[in-house]
Amino acid sequence: MSGPALSERARSERRLGWLLCTPAVIAMVAVTAYPIGYAIWLSLQRADLRFPNDNAFIGLRNYTDVLTSKVWWADLSTTLTITVVSLAIELVIGMAVALVLHRAVFVRRTVRTSVLIPYGIITVVASLAWKYAFTPGTGFVNPLLGANSDLLGSRVPSMIVIIMTEVWKTTPFMALLLLAGLALVPDELHDAARVDGAGPVQRFFLITLPLMKPAILVAMLFRALDAFRIFDSVFILTRGANDTESVSILGYNQLINRLNLGIGSAVSVLIFVCVLVIALIFVKGFGTSLIGQGDK
Amino acid sequence: MAVRWRTPVGRGRRHHRVAIAAVLVAMTVAGCGGGAQAGPPTLHWYIGKQGSSAYTDDAAACTKAANGAYRIQVVDLPADADAQREQLVRRLAAGDSSIDVIGMDVIWTAEFAKAGWVREWTGDRRATVEDGAVPTALGTAKFEDRLWASPQNTNAQVLFWRKDLVPNPPATWDEMIDVAAKLGPEGKIEAQGARYEGLTVWFNSLVASAGGQILSPDGKVALGPPGVDALRVMKKLATSPAADPSLSNDREDQSTSAFVAGKAAFMVNYSAVLPSLNKQAPDLVAKVGIAPWPSVVPGQPSHVTLGGYNLGVGKFTKHPNQAFAAAACLTSPESQVRNASLGGLPPTKEALYSDPSVTAALGPADVLHSTLLAASQRPATPAYNDVSLAVQKTIHPEKAIDPKRTESDLRSKLGKVLKSGGLI
Amino acid sequence: MMKTQHGSERVLWSVGSIIVIASALVPFAWIISLSFKPGDELGNGKFLPRSLTLDNYSKVFKNDSFLSALRNSLGIALIATVIGVALGAMAAYAIARLDFPGKTAILVCALAIAMFPPVSIIGSLFNVWRTLHLFDTWPGLIIPYVTFTLPLSIWALSAFFREIPWELEQAAQVDGATPFQAFRKVILPLAAPGLVTAGILAFIFAWNDFLFAISLTSTDRARTVPAALAFFTGNTQFEQPTGAIAAAAVVVTVPIIVLVLVFQRRIVAGLTAGAVKG
Repeated sequence: MSGPALSERARSERRLGWLLCTPAVIAMVAVTAYPIGYAIWLSLQRADLRFPNDNAFIGLRNYTDVLTSKVWWADLSTTLTITVVSLAIELVIGMAVALVLHRAVFVRRTVRTSVLIPYGIITVVASLAWKYAFTPGTGFVNPLLGANSDLLGSRVPSMIVIIMTEVWKTTPFMALLLLAGLALVPDELHDAARVDGAGPVQRFFLITLPLMKPAILVAMLFRALDAFRIFDSVFILTRGANDTESVSILGYNQLINRLNLGIGSAVSVLIFVCVLVIALIFVKGFGTSLIGQGDK
Repeated sequence: MAVRWRTPVGRGRRHHRVAIAAVLVAMTVAGCGGGAQAGPPTLHWYIGKQGSSAYTDDAAACTKAANGAYRIQVVDLPADADAQREQLVRRLAAGDSSIDVIGMDVIWTAEFAKAGWVREWTGDRRATVEDGAVPTALGTAKFEDRLWASPQNTNAQVLFWRKDLVPNPPATWDEMIDVAAKLGPEGKIEAQGARYEGLTVWFNSLVASAGGQILSPDGKVALGPPGVDALRVMKKLATSPAADPSLSNDREDQSTSAFVAGKAAFMVNYSAVLPSLNKQAPDLVAKVGIAPWPSVVPGQPSHVTLGGYNLGVGKFTKHPNQAFAAAACLTSPESQVRNASLGGLPPTKEALYSDPSVTAALGPADVLHSTLLAASQRPATPAYNDVSLAVQKTIHPEKAIDPKRTESDLRSKLGKVLKSGGLI
Repeated sequence: MMKTQHGSERVLWSVGSIIVIASALVPFAWIISLSFKPGDELGNGKFLPRSLTLDNYSKVFKNDSFLSALRNSLGIALIATVIGVALGAMAAYAIARLDFPGKTAILVCALAIAMFPPVSIIGSLFNVWRTLHLFDTWPGLIIPYVTFTLPLSIWALSAFFREIPWELEQAAQVDGATPFQAFRKVILPLAAPGLVTAGILAFIFAWNDFLFAISLTSTDRARTVPAALAFFTGNTQFEQPTGAIAAAAVVVTVPIIVLVLVFQRRIVAGLTAGAVKG
């Protein structure tokens, strides 16, 4: 580039760059930015498809209705519980699986294969499988545990099954991300530590984990958001009954079942805000570096 | 390097891409396409699955009677009313023109009418529907004094009681609970207390029998002392030894199973369970008597909630005249007699309650008929779905009811819901 | 360098691997078992069927709704994949090779979309699609699918494109090929594996989606397999055609599993491309 003015070549490169990116950007932004703006607008109205002639601007009334409702807070706490618990379990199991894949080369291919199977099975099918496993009569779990009751009929067991389905489905992804992070830890550090007399556990906590911190944080951020947005497995397993309703199910019920677009949009916007908050906590609070030094 | 870019791979890839594109185009066209039809228009009748062939026979008979003007095709919806509503409501909101005749649960009339999803019955059509109809059943098809559907079938709950355990059927709920409590372990009362529409039905029946209503005719929340009374009765049952321990999980089928197993002295349930009682435990049935639903206020009759289905005509149908004619035929006395004898579905025309084939199939026809005439309606409001959800979630589980507090809690929730507010 | 593993370590890792493998396969095996169970065995709570039957499968293949759902899923997912990968490839090429301001913004944008809660837009999309008559149509689903698969495509492809030796393109031009020929015959074959990977990842996402499918469709015209599975009706409200649903689930899953197994190395590379930069 010569001086303050861009050379012809640089300028045409710029133009080409923008040109190539524009369709993708439009596809991404148009389908998210406009609807979320529309949702914000709808959330400030009474917009009920069963009362089509009664639309009116009502300001923040929908928000006060939602935020003062026990249902919202119960669902939020249910969702956060599912998020935190499944994240914790996935981290531990995912790390273990990543270690297996990293160290035990001789089983790596089989383990990797079987680890990708949960990824390939659609969530609805996985949830159906677990639902049938736990249905009294049809399922094999009740006879195994000697239990008589409908495990999907009360809150705590239902939550456990939902979390288990989530963990089963997404631990592979977590393991893969952690494996990629593991690969970045140089073996020489391990060797040096071993010479110094550090045992495997010490080496794990003092060398491996700290060096993997960026990868772990990125994995945690994405899994946390995925878990917070949970919908498919809750819908299939309990439909949100027994106090297992997640915020996404709440939004769906208000919008598609109740056809109350005003309240439903308020819920949607609040969910969006929650997701922003979680992302901010991770990026600013834990220092998750998302873009990093990766481009060129 | 010079040979690299002459490899045939590129050319093969291009052919590949053309082939893939062609397949995709073909599939899109196939996926989007529908064929044009010659001949009489096909009317789609959306109705929940029925255990018998009643509806398909109705459709066939009415197609024949139409003499080529139209063909009726039954489209099965799930048997559960909530699942039916879920599927219908979304499509109606999207202006689906393939929905011609709709089997509407009686509680959807106000909602569908206000939202503009069904067409109004006027003039001669309305006169034919109203002629000789059971007044309460007809009331469920009306909203704001206009007729929105033609009643197809109706039902209401009655009291099943064990003649060998008590000499006379109890007249009131209080009496029934006291008597059952004294009977010991086989003296249970079977009712439906699960968190579903049946709970709203029970609550509505109690409130109406206590002399009140959930919503006043102008659409505002009523309740008040009758509401408190109704909740008192529910709580009394839930906390009495006469209650089935699974009351807060029971629906109609569970109540019936428990009664059939001989575990209960009383059951409130729809008269339509009698045939299955007959099938499962014929020797028990000899000991069972049918009586009107217990009242709440001594000396005053009960007002049980009316159920049933009405047939409406979809707003966006391409063949409105044919659809009206089809709906009228499907709810004609001939169809209703068939529905009663094949499916045990009580009719909505007065005269049919003297028809021997109907009364033979229905069982306790006179108790049912008088019950129907005195029956109450669930609140007729477009927000009924929300009202019912609010009722269910506030009252359930019955053991936790505190009559005064629950009533005021419910009143404030309903107030919000009627303005499209509140979170359910 | 790999350490030699002591005998006990080996055993430990083997046991761990077996646990991992088994737990991944249990639900899949269960669904397969259910699909082969005859009607009277469905309620017996045993894991393996005592007798095998193909009844459920024949029921499923005779079911028009399911066949439409299969057709819808296949068509919608393929079209969304092709469009998504095309758009993503263009953007990834630009990001990997060209210099222009706004690159980071685009990557941030892709990130934001990946973190976006779909439930927040189903209400708006339902309302807009309603008025545009896109409700219950193929484009009605294809559009959100393209949007939400673009981030993964862009990341996977930009990471992939960065690895390609672009000098080969120049070398081919030196040898006399036009830029377009150089691109098509040198670069494209090198880029193809990345495109295939991105395509598979996008396809699996579209195939798997449930929320948009149940919110934006309602009939056989556009209802996809996950939605159809969830709404299979039984004859009474208590009867669930468990065997048929299990058979349908197997039919839907096996092709994807085969796809995943054949391309597993690529998939792993694609999935981890976006997350760990280094």
